[in-house]
Amino acid sequence: MSSDFQFEEEDFSDNRVNTNTLFRILSAVRPHWRWVAGFLFCVGVVSIFEGFFTFLSKRIVDEAIIPRNSTALVQTLEVYGVMAAIFAIMVFGFIYLAGGLGQRVRYDLRKAVFDHLQTLSFSYFDKTPVGWLMSRVTSDTERMADLVTWGMLDVTWAVMNIITALIFMATINWKLMLIVLVMVPVLLRVAMWFKNKILVEYRASRKLNSRITATYNENITGVRVVKAMRREEANRSEFDTLAEEMYKRSFRAAWLSALFLPAVQILSAIAIGAIIWYGGLQVNLGDMTIGGLMAFVSYVTFMMWPVQDLARVYSEMQQAVASAERFFSLMDTKAELVNKPGAIAPASMRGDIEFENVNFYYQPEKPVLKNFSLKVRQGETIALVGPTGGGKSTTVNLICRFYEPKTGTIKINGQDYTDYTLESIHSRIGVVLQTPHLFSGTIRENLRYGRLDATDAEIEVAAKLGGAHDFIMELEKGYEEQVGEGGVLLSTGQKQLISLARAVLAKPDIFVMDEATSSVDTLTEALIQRGMEVLMKNSTSFIIAHRLSTIRRADRILVIEKGGISEMGSHSELMHLRGHYYNLYMQQFREELTAQFDPFTNGEHHSTGGTGKVPAQVVAAGD
Amino acid sequence: MTPPVQTYQYDIRKSLSKNLFRGFWRMMTGFRQYYLFAVIMLAISALMNTSSFLLIRHFVDNILPTPDVGRLAPLVGLGFVLLAGGQGLFSFLSGRFAARTAEGLALRLRDAMYDHIQRLSFTYHDNMQTGELLSRATSDLDAIRRFFADQAIGVGRILLLFSVNFVAIMLLNVQLALLSIIVVPLIALMSLFFFGRISSRYEQVQEQEARVSTTLQENLSGVRVVKAFNRQNYEREKFEVQNYKHYKLGRSFLILHALFWPLSDVLVFGQIIGGYFVGATLVINGTMSVGSYLAYVSLLGQLINPMRNLGRLLVDMSTGIVSYKRMMQVIGEEQESLVDGAHVPDGDLRGDVEFKHVNFQYNADTPVLYDIDLSVKAGQSVALLGSTGSGKTSLVSLIPRFYDYTSGSITIDGIELKDIPRGYLRSQVGVVEQEPFLFSRSIRDNITFSVSRKVTDEEVIAAAKAAAVHDVILTFPDGYNTLVGERGVTLSGGQKQRVVLARALLKNPRILILDDATSSVDSETEDEIRQALLKLMKGRTSFIIAHRIQTVMHANLILVFDKGRIVQRGTHNELMRVPGIYRQIFELQSRIEEEVEKEAADVLGLPV
Repeated sequence: MSSDFQFEEEDFSDNRVNTNTLFRILSAVRPHWRWVAGFLFCVGVVSIFEGFFTFLSKRIVDEAIIPRNSTALVQTLEVYGVMAAIFAIMVFGFIYLAGGLGQRVRYDLRKAVFDHLQTLSFSYFDKTPVGWLMSRVTSDTERMADLVTWGMLDVTWAVMNIITALIFMATINWKLMLIVLVMVPVLLRVAMWFKNKILVEYRASRKLNSRITATYNENITGVRVVKAMRREEANRSEFDTLAEEMYKRSFRAAWLSALFLPAVQILSAIAIGAIIWYGGLQVNLGDMTIGGLMAFVSYVTFMMWPVQDLARVYSEMQQAVASAERFFSLMDTKAELVNKPGAIAPASMRGDIEFENVNFYYQPEKPVLKNFSLKVRQGETIALVGPTGGGKSTTVNLICRFYEPKTGTIKINGQDYTDYTLESIHSRIGVVLQTPHLFSGTIRENLRYGRLDATDAEIEVAAKLGGAHDFIMELEKGYEEQVGEGGVLLSTGQKQLISLARAVLAKPDIFVMDEATSSVDTLTEALIQRGMEVLMKNSTSFIIAHRLSTIRRADRILVIEKGGISEMGSHSELMHLRGHYYNLYMQQFREELTAQFDPFTNGEHHSTGGTGKVPAQVVAAGD
Repeated sequence: MTPPVQTYQYDIRKSLSKNLFRGFWRMMTGFRQYYLFAVIMLAISALMNTSSFLLIRHFVDNILPTPDVGRLAPLVGLGFVLLAGGQGLFSFLSGRFAARTAEGLALRLRDAMYDHIQRLSFTYHDNMQTGELLSRATSDLDAIRRFFADQAIGVGRILLLFSVNFVAIMLLNVQLALLSIIVVPLIALMSLFFFGRISSRYEQVQEQEARVSTTLQENLSGVRVVKAFNRQNYEREKFEVQNYKHYKLGRSFLILHALFWPLSDVLVFGQIIGGYFVGATLVINGTMSVGSYLAYVSLLGQLINPMRNLGRLLVDMSTGIVSYKRMMQVIGEEQESLVDGAHVPDGDLRGDVEFKHVNFQYNADTPVLYDIDLSVKAGQSVALLGSTGSGKTSLVSLIPRFYDYTSGSITIDGIELKDIPRGYLRSQVGVVEQEPFLFSRSIRDNITFSVSRKVTDEEVIAAAKAAAVHDVILTFPDGYNTLVGERGVTLSGGQKQRVVLARALLKNPRILILDDATSSVDSETEDEIRQALLKLMKGRTSFIIAHRIQTVMHANLILVFDKGRIVQRGTHNELMRVPGIYRQIFELQSRIEEEVEKEAADVLGLPV
């Protein structure tokens, strides 16, 4: 909640409305121009009728009541009744059309921006926080849709109302109308001034509110420390300061809002007072009827609402335009990786993989891979080891073509891989991430993600191969069990098994895995190893390896450090070098043994190996 | 404008009541007069509004036809302006008083809730989710604020306008007045009916909006998987389904609005046309004056139109009431007293700790500790070894009275623990948790967090140096003033741990609890931390939970735990002499070293 909020950065210190952006927003409704025309027509009729009703009231007084004419009364009321019926239909029309269009526009915008997001490259997602993107898709589209529907409707209504009122006033007495006309800009000015003042306070209190939420959050999550430290009083007095600031700001915003309408009211009262003063004299002279005078008074009140409405719409428009600017900046972002013209899409990505003098960086001043060359034969299993930040992940990201080399080439099957389409490479790659990502839905749906046209039977075969089948069958609903948002209902090990089975189902030509560092229980670990083996047997595999068993199983081990390969070879070759690999290996060996021997890790060890006995897996390590 | 003083002094728990209105009434203590003023001002404003129509009546009937009109018209104009001005002024004052009440109550609740939450027991927090508490403290609170700021006063406004205008029309013509309110109950009912549905439909739309967000969020955070499997089109369809459903629900929500407003228009227009007809006929018959008719026409609109909003306000009020109940559930929870206990503290504790036949359970059917006996002299150290869930953390949690033991006796310096006030006790006990928790404030504030007195920079630096974290802090952009967390630096597990150690050092407690303090630390910093720990333990009674023999072997007393019981006790030397878990662990650890050496030898013996 609060994390979303941080991305609502709305700094409207600059109050101008960019007309270019406004025009672009309007173009979003162009395909639906009939709807727009419809609701504008309806609201136009509504506002003219509203003016006319007052005019009819005047006629009742002047033509029926004063001359005591019952027939004229009935006639006028008949007209009134018919107009009222039409009015009601028009009200239905504009709410239905404008509201419906609003929903439609928001739907369209969200669809468009979501589609666009799917085309953007990794580099974009690396530097853009998810929360920021979420706000663009959810709240910005909402504000834009509101602007082109309710905003436009309110402006039309307000302007029409003012014009209608002025016209009717002019037909009654144009001199008086001029007096009122002078009032309009004054009122508008006052209304804007208020709106801006209120907005400033409102924003300040919103910012404070998110700080208060954050403070609450921290005090709840850290409550044990707070209590252990006896911080209650100190915390409360700190919070008081914040809460008091909030009180001041929101109280100010509230009473300014309360002042706003009365201020407009007083101004209109002055206008009405002037009319009665001046008009009252004229009535006596026979220039103006009583009904006319009354109508005039009504019209003045009638104009006050549109004026204050315009002020509101204008401030909303500023927000919507700012939203739109952010929205369009996202829509205008071009994907960094695109298919070359004439790129081909072979059905298979089998074949040797070759890095030739590849250079890569995320930021130009910090090179990640330097002059990196490597040749991998079809079907080989490569283990990548080395320190964090050395370039392991980058290497596999390049293989997957999530990024492309800045200079140098990567070849698959002898051809520069940028000659292939992105889709053809991605569809032949199976990836298992360190922290497996699942989508809410059932286990079956998550597995099917690997190959959409897979049958249920194929899914189960893949789950069996990937080692996930057994635990799935133990769940109450089996394959139909919900995994929860992001897979929260499953354990880490279970998520890893599912993401492995998902990759097995994809039957990739190239298999890429970033092994998890977090420990899982021995049984799950064995299942994961088995699943990996299935994939490694059928694909050219690149594993960022953390476990000795994986490392030893590889055909070749690469020690990647400082953007290059510092050591390369088989396990025993590298051990004999007594270099980085040797140290890494011995350190890992000690850690795995310690973990295995620890009598206190979940009692695993007690149940499987028995106290003091070296577990089979570890013994095998010595072979 | 400063908040009224009485805001804080009121104990919010007094407003707990089964009776909703009594609860609201009590909660408003100190604000009642403001809210009453708000209502009175509102009534005056409504009266002035109505009076201005009656003034028009007077003008039309009694002044306009006379030759005095030229002289009196300006006066009437002035009167009109004054009435309008007065009306504006009073409605402003009403709004201001209502805002003062609503914001003042919000401040009172916000503050009370904050304090209340940090005084609830550990058991309560164990069982309550953060998000749940947070939503009560924020969105429920806001719903209560709106109840007072807009809804209750809004309903009051509608009722006042109705009564005042109705009375005014009664004064003009009783018959006309009665005829003018025929549709009012209809409108009120219709409004209630529609808004009841609108609000439930709105909730559906909001739920769907949440699903749209979730789909989006999963797509964005899983972008690697989406791209790796080339599933952009699949994702598009998935989003499309939710987005379209939202669109559909939005439309059906809208249709209710599109029906309600014109339907209520029809009723209102029916009433107005009827009213005009009767009113005008009365004037034509000579029963009523022209001025009265004009006043009536204006009053009629004021009588009916606001009624259309009644349903919306009443429905919104009901959500405010639900929020109030939810919040009061939390307020109704018993706080953990920091002061109860017969012992009157006299300086610092010495630190002799004794457990006699202590049993403990978190809830009725799952005992955690059985018959614990242990005795430690001031300044000595006790090490606790055992598997996860064997009761080590539970045991040390009893010492600062985070939880109360079920039976048996725990004494410190011979005083029964239950007699020592929690506040004092916790100021004497330092805890270094397994997962160090830092607050998003400066590093200095995090270190001084545990001390209520003013602390000099020298003291802070000394503590940081002793915890081997001073040098690390100096590498941060703002040194000790660097913020921790999202807006500042992210610390590694070991760095966090050492900041927490510095915090404990500065607190200088008599009894120290180290709950697996080296577990989240990489091997490089482990030695540094171990040194810091030894410094910290000197001169205090210490309880150390650990996994490794090296950490515990120098303790004065080592306790080995299994399933809530102490299965072995003694010093390192004593325990090494007897067969048992302790010796096994020790042997295992030396065995690992042998294995490592063997592995190295084996590998080098392999052919290349």
